[in-house]
Amino acid sequence: MPRLATVALAAGAALLLRRAVRSRMRSAPLWPLPALETPVSGYGRGATVPRRVLVTGRAVPAEGVVELRLEGERLPAWEPGAHIDLVLPSGEVRQYSLCGDPARPDVYRIATRLIGEEHGGRGGSREVHEQLHEGVEVEIRGPRNRFPLTAAPSYVFVAGGIGVTPVLPMVRAAEAAGADWRLVYCGRSRASMPYLADLVRLGGDRVTVVAQDESGHPDLGFLASVPAETAVYCCGPEGLMAAVTAAMPEGRAPRLERFSGPAPAGGTAFEVELRRSGRTVAVPADRSVLAAVREEVPGLMYSCTQGFCGTCVQTVLEGEVDHRDELLTEAERADSMLICVSRCAGRKLVLDL
Amino acid sequence: MSNTQPAPVASEHVALKARKVAFDWQETPLHWVPGDPFTTHTINVLHLLLPAGERWFVHVYQQALPYITDDRLREDVIGFIGQEAVHSQAHDDVLPHLRRQGLDPTPYTAQVDWFFEKLLGDRTLPPGRARRWWLMERVALIAAIEHYTAFLGDWILNAEELDRRGADPMMLDLLRWHGAEEVEHRSVAFELFMHLDGGYRRRARTWALAFGTLVFLWQRGTRFFMENDPGLLDPKASWADFYRRGRAGVLPSTPAVLRSVPRYLSRSYHPSQEGDTAQAVAYLAASPGANGGR
Repeated sequence: MPRLATVALAAGAALLLRRAVRSRMRSAPLWPLPALETPVSGYGRGATVPRRVLVTGRAVPAEGVVELRLEGERLPAWEPGAHIDLVLPSGEVRQYSLCGDPARPDVYRIATRLIGEEHGGRGGSREVHEQLHEGVEVEIRGPRNRFPLTAAPSYVFVAGGIGVTPVLPMVRAAEAAGADWRLVYCGRSRASMPYLADLVRLGGDRVTVVAQDESGHPDLGFLASVPAETAVYCCGPEGLMAAVTAAMPEGRAPRLERFSGPAPAGGTAFEVELRRSGRTVAVPADRSVLAAVREEVPGLMYSCTQGFCGTCVQTVLEGEVDHRDELLTEAERADSMLICVSRCAGRKLVLDL
Repeated sequence: MSNTQPAPVASEHVALKARKVAFDWQETPLHWVPGDPFTTHTINVLHLLLPAGERWFVHVYQQALPYITDDRLREDVIGFIGQEAVHSQAHDDVLPHLRRQGLDPTPYTAQVDWFFEKLLGDRTLPPGRARRWWLMERVALIAAIEHYTAFLGDWILNAEELDRRGADPMMLDLLRWHGAEEVEHRSVAFELFMHLDGGYRRRARTWALAFGTLVFLWQRGTRFFMENDPGLLDPKASWADFYRRGRAGVLPSTPAVLRSVPRYLSRSYHPSQEGDTAQAVAYLAASPGANGGR
């Protein structure tokens, strides 16, 4: 009989507990677990979701430049300075700045200048010019923004040639915000400079046009005296960006957008310092950081070796990274890299290894 | 001792590699099993648990890696980590789609995040025995959970009733790609546990914890989805619903779930005795999502 009493007692206790839990959960359905203050899950970074867009328009805004109108459903919002990765028919991936209207949720615009192989082109722009006609479906990734427009009372924009693409929406945003801005727009000739008329119409005498065939190189002397609160943005050829950097006042740097897309494999040689182990590894042009570092640190984690799984992520302490992965967010890119594909944009990286 | 090391079925071993996947959710309706929100949401709970859960697997295994003294097992564990990382991303990428359809998952996922990142996280333990004990406990938990992911993987690969009822092909492909990789790597977690610890008492204890927690989180997730589904007038969810759908073949059957319990607790258990690697590999070769989408 004592067994029966025990069973009855246990059953009674279980029933009471169930009622208590039920009424508690009715008042707060997600009781009793606490939540993480800044949730990590639930926002999907989209690395496994392809986004296909249709080329629905082609225009020629300047000599040798093609503008594509890309249409898709529910395209992610973007801000001036953002770019997308475009997967070309050959499978190669190139980055292009968005140059349309950020308020349009269904249309992206990009523009690309044909760069022949004789001028160091790697075939991406040729594919865009020759294969992406109206009605062709392409896959894109992103957008991402490495060149964000921060709020400032005044702006100076310096654009060179096709480098005007990220600057165009920036100028429009600055104008819409009522900011004081000026633009120096350089190019080989007026006919080769896209969106020139639009910009002049928008800015009037705030736009200084410097066409090389008329007036040679731009005079950047005014940059030496730009006020501290003025944000300076520059996108264009390396030479122009170097000139703008040199013309800035002591201790100040312009914000730059580099147009050197990722090379398909390899790149230049550089060095990687492993700070915790106190060693320095040379990474040759034809090897990945992962392959080079693995010889020094055999237990290194990695899996896909193509920049999508994220297993090989490492913390970057110093150095500018040339990110070539498809996974990390801009915030993560600030201090980490996927060493299976990403490389160094300068001569040396320092990793926390 | 309790370490009767059961032998794996040798032919079942394959080299593991993360696959690049692509799943497009634009066409997937909210109730992707037509007319059956209960089944839809019971399976949808995977999207709530797996992003944080599989990230946690990766986190724990990264710490376990230095203790592995068998080269082939280390290769397997690294392959496992890569696959789990992609699983976590792929399920997380479904959640914004649910939110767009009016079903915001974040109140629940924020709790799952807390569960895995804080409750089962690293904790401030002194290096040495305490830290190793906590690591082994978590390695054993993962082995127990992987028993169920392999069980579910094998189930979804064979759940033809879902096809017959017109379930969304994109969602089925995500589940079957994931399920097939779970079947493919089903031995890794158990072998790692046996390699590092293998104690039967720990195995039984962590099984009870994992099973109880899974049941708790799962029923809670189903209720959460049902109650917050904007298109449902009657959001009730009960065990009877689960049982009936198990009989119909659109969810795992309750007897099959119960039968899996003694199998894991058997001293001669080895995951390679369950599931069918050939079927999994064949699915992966044909899956649209696992081959870059469309």
